[in-house]
Amino acid sequence: MTQYSFIGTEVPRPDASDKAAGKALYIHDMVLPGMLYGKIKYSEYAHARIKHIDTSRAERLPGVRAVITGYNTPEIRIGFIRDNMPLKKDKVRQFRDEVAAVAAIDPEIAEEAVELIRVEYEELPAVFTPEDALKEGAPIVHETDARGRPKSDNLVPVAWNFVAGDVEKAKQEAAFIAEGRFQTPLIQQSCMGTAGCIAEFDLEGNLTIHTKTQIPFLAQNDFNRALAAIGLKGKNTRVTVPTLGGSFGTGLDTHGYEYIAILLAYKTGRPVKIVLNREEEFTTLSPRQPTETHIIQGCDKEGKLTLREVRMVLDNGAYTSWGATTPSVMMLPISSLYRVPNVLYEAKIVYTNNTYCQAMRGYGNPQAAWALECNLDDLAEKAGMDPFEFRMLNANIPDDTTPMGLNITSCGHEACLKTVADRLNWKQKRGKGRDKARGVGMASLFHVGGSGRVYRSDGTGIIMKLDDFGNVSVITGGIEMGQGFNSALALVSAEALGVTPDKVTVISGDTATCPWDVGTHASRGAFTAGNAAIMAAQKARDKIFRIASEHFMPRVHYKLKKRKKKDPDFEIPDLDYNRICDPSEFELKENVVFLKEEPDNPLLRVSLEEILREAHYREQGSMIISEAFYDPPNQMIDMKTGRGNLSATYIFGTHGAEVEVDRETGKVKILQFVAAHDVGKVINRQTIKGQIYGGMMQGLGYALCEEYKTDKGRNLNPNFLDYKIFSAPDVNFPIHIECIETDDKEGPFGAKGVGEPGLVPVAPAVANAIYDAIGVRIRDLPITPEKILSALKKKQ
Amino acid sequence: MKKLIRFTLNGHEVSAEVESHRMLLEVLRNTFHLTGTKEGCGQGECGACTVLVDGLSVDSCLYPAFEVEGKSVTTIEGLVEEGSRLHPIQEAFVEHGGIQCGFCTPGMIMSTKALLDENPHPTDDEIKRGISGNLCRCTGYVQIVESIRKAAEKY
Amino acid sequence: MKKFDYYQPESLKEAYGLMEKLNGEARFIAGGTDVIVRIKQGALHPDALISLRRISALKGLGNEDGLSMGSMTLFRDIERDPAIARDYPALGEAASVLANPQVRNVATIGGNLCNAAPSADAAPPLMVLEATLTIEGPGGQREVSIEDFFRGPGETCLEHTEVVTRITIPKKRKGTGMAFLKIGRVAQDIAIANAAALIVVENGVCRKCRLSAGAVAPVPLRLKRIEGIVEGRKIEPDLLDRVAEMVQEDVSPITDVRSTAQYRKTVSGILVKRAIKEALDRAG
Repeated sequence: MTQYSFIGTEVPRPDASDKAAGKALYIHDMVLPGMLYGKIKYSEYAHARIKHIDTSRAERLPGVRAVITGYNTPEIRIGFIRDNMPLKKDKVRQFRDEVAAVAAIDPEIAEEAVELIRVEYEELPAVFTPEDALKEGAPIVHETDARGRPKSDNLVPVAWNFVAGDVEKAKQEAAFIAEGRFQTPLIQQSCMGTAGCIAEFDLEGNLTIHTKTQIPFLAQNDFNRALAAIGLKGKNTRVTVPTLGGSFGTGLDTHGYEYIAILLAYKTGRPVKIVLNREEEFTTLSPRQPTETHIIQGCDKEGKLTLREVRMVLDNGAYTSWGATTPSVMMLPISSLYRVPNVLYEAKIVYTNNTYCQAMRGYGNPQAAWALECNLDDLAEKAGMDPFEFRMLNANIPDDTTPMGLNITSCGHEACLKTVADRLNWKQKRGKGRDKARGVGMASLFHVGGSGRVYRSDGTGIIMKLDDFGNVSVITGGIEMGQGFNSALALVSAEALGVTPDKVTVISGDTATCPWDVGTHASRGAFTAGNAAIMAAQKARDKIFRIASEHFMPRVHYKLKKRKKKDPDFEIPDLDYNRICDPSEFELKENVVFLKEEPDNPLLRVSLEEILREAHYREQGSMIISEAFYDPPNQMIDMKTGRGNLSATYIFGTHGAEVEVDRETGKVKILQFVAAHDVGKVINRQTIKGQIYGGMMQGLGYALCEEYKTDKGRNLNPNFLDYKIFSAPDVNFPIHIECIETDDKEGPFGAKGVGEPGLVPVAPAVANAIYDAIGVRIRDLPITPEKILSALKKKQ
Repeated sequence: MKKLIRFTLNGHEVSAEVESHRMLLEVLRNTFHLTGTKEGCGQGECGACTVLVDGLSVDSCLYPAFEVEGKSVTTIEGLVEEGSRLHPIQEAFVEHGGIQCGFCTPGMIMSTKALLDENPHPTDDEIKRGISGNLCRCTGYVQIVESIRKAAEKY
Repeated sequence: MKKFDYYQPESLKEAYGLMEKLNGEARFIAGGTDVIVRIKQGALHPDALISLRRISALKGLGNEDGLSMGSMTLFRDIERDPAIARDYPALGEAASVLANPQVRNVATIGGNLCNAAPSADAAPPLMVLEATLTIEGPGGQREVSIEDFFRGPGETCLEHTEVVTRITIPKKRKGTGMAFLKIGRVAQDIAIANAAALIVVENGVCRKCRLSAGAVAPVPLRLKRIEGIVEGRKIEPDLLDRVAEMVQEDVSPITDVRSTAQYRKTVSGILVKRAIKEALDRAG
């Protein structure tokens, strides 16, 4: 085992003190001179023709500086397939459609002005379920596609198919088959800090936008397109990212409100701020995509999985964002969680007049895992096998290539399963708690752990800049949104470079100063930036050692002479102080440069800062800045074959729950929870635990209580009174987290991504435990007490 | 309707001309520029705006500013001592992973202060009840509870 | 959000005067945790609010001959009062699960009742404790049994100019046990259903039974028909199961984002049954 100085320690994160003091600056806290406040008027219908917009009264309101609509602003096409516009013309397709916006000198005037805007609509028939949307003669959400070609159905033109082997044949040969239909609801990310931005133009027509995003560089690209659309072709956008109050996928795309702020800022020549209030956060951001899944799995008589067929329908909502690409990640567990040779996967994505969807932590994986892992328990039961043994028999193994072409490098799947079984005391408990309505259940996960090539580039840049005092600025395109990215990057940088972490400052969130990064998503931040940091650190060390080769011995001599001055008894050793060393002779550790051969000689040590000063306090000096661009060895999925090694490495995990069900009220009580994750290598034990705990609790909410409820496209619970996430008293059970280190060869110091996985297998683990406790299977999330009661009733 | 209100803010006597429909949160953030107190929901559900009024935790988003007349208000900024030294509760949150995105943190810490001032040695259940009015989406509360437990040891 | 004027009278007389002057376009406000939210949501549009916080006559918690609470008593104080915990635990428990600490630090018992939410946690315990509300207005004072106070969701028997000043509860009889139970989607929630029971037992027989169920009808309910069935009997499992079924017949809940009507019915019966059991255990 390699001995590390900082990797694997449990240390506070660098941003914690400012956050604890209330000093961290979120978008809500930013005020610019002359700033105006923007407010958006949303649709009053799920589907309607806009007949007339009367903004005259709003325009006359004192304090209003601009009122805009789709009719007096240039057309900007946005979204993954450009089927959306920031301000709607002709038609609204969902309640959150933006029809007008104002900028005013204070937020209250802006709000009042929005209320004065009158819109005349002609209501149109609407569709609210994929099923209805696919019926013959259903109202069409988009009559034309983004290029203006007529469209006659509600299918989103993004289809996902994957076939391996022969599922039909496997069905005929299978000894046991389990089939089921599973549903997942809309889930709201529920960031504590709502979304918002401030847009401002300089006098050259360049835009600066301070905004809540996970993808500053892709956003720059989007906004530059918008600039071109408003007649500012060739002008540039600078995106800066303030402290983020959580993100969980909300910042993966650019949003209507950002473009509206840009349009208002352009029109008024003033900075314009739009921050969503909590209700707007619920009703106008994109929640997690709901799914309907039909699954069939089969195995041979020994219990070896032989087939998996999954057909899925996703409610896209009215426009297309990254939610429509979540099947690319769903394909991973569907093709590759457990070893299964024959796989068929098909996903249809359907336009409706519901709110359009996005990705949330897990990017489709929580929906896929729900169907897979619940159905797997059903299959184990049919095969007469214990679900743990069944999983062990089919578990993933290291150095394997899956039917989708995923190259598994390190793999701790079996270790995760065993850990959970041991911790839960599985053998003693499984199947033995019916009389007390107690049960145990488990579920696994398979996810990208080495980024995911969703775009042509999956890269990230790092700049390391060292100053005269041995401080290191690590400048990254990645984003800290609460997950601990800065902490992981600081530790990796310190370890790789040979400085102490307190010397490292991570600088991020500015497209003008930071190197390019595709975005902080797919659990990729620490993995990609960590690898880039190791590369940049190596380059910096080369430079440092080159300088040291000339200056190390003279520097040592100088220091010894100084010592002699102070202490006349001291004898300066007889060494060749003019020797030019070879750069390869040096090592740098914890801010000190020394000779590898004599690491313990206290006389032959020079602090890094002295060497750094030697670099440029001289004629013909130089400075120590290094850069690196890391693009992981992975592939985009071939849309025709559905194959491609999406990630450089993969992560595994297993969750286990012990539950007790109140048969009279249907309430589920979690008695204990175990989460075992193959993380490759722990970088910061404190932040990795934080990621797993946090993901897990979001997963428990997803399992038991969270649901974004709608009625004919309108959200019914746009606040925390009605949309319930866990509070501290709900976490009233022991939790055990185990990080299994498999030391991945692709990962920075062996680490794999860990941001999303904590959420993924929670719901099926709980559902499987409930089944063990009371013998009923709930197939649609959330598992509410009333669903349990009605299932119990049916069973009798 | 407007009125000059006087109160003690983080130990200092202050006054401000305030409109009658304003909540304490708006006065803290907009008049006194104390932006450490956050608005998470505006409806008393999330606790991000928690401050202490005469030592009791309240949601400042629902606290009419007029009611603060003559009272003593403590915000997160009021806990930081001379020389930017963090309060022991803040320190415990930093040390023990009680902070991720940080948006709930000021409110969470103010609720903790109210809890520990009244009950310096709470049980885990009492801790959880004490912060039950503060939502956090990042941490799952585990490390927050641990932070508070550690803070209590030094209290 | 609508702008409003805000008045802070020091006495009831001053408050009535203000209300008269403002021609009924004003509204009394206690802790504000409900009224302010509804103003922010645009559900209420008062021109002015008249705060009751500075009126000392509305404060004070006394426990000499029964319990007497000023309407502006904070839930915080009810939750922490040792006499309430000892003699009226159902009320103390309801106070301790109402919303969260920040809300309990400003919300008042009077405010909770005047909002007249069918789910008000303070209501079922006060119903089974047969509380009396003292109501005062410019025209004088009157007393109303809590049973007659609620008229519908958000509606009470209060005139616009009247204020609840005091809530009194008769002295606890020997052999009395009581309990309050609540079920929500998560720990911090408005009740899907709540219930309280008060039982007086002598020689193993129930001499007195008071039952109340909340969030299952337009107003918090007293379940008198079922009380009559329980009184005079030994409380045994069969009887409790019958009670649970009868509760389902006597409630008329709605479906909303928190729960369906059917689930509310079922769980209301279970809560009442369990509250009786718990009250019985405590009556000993």
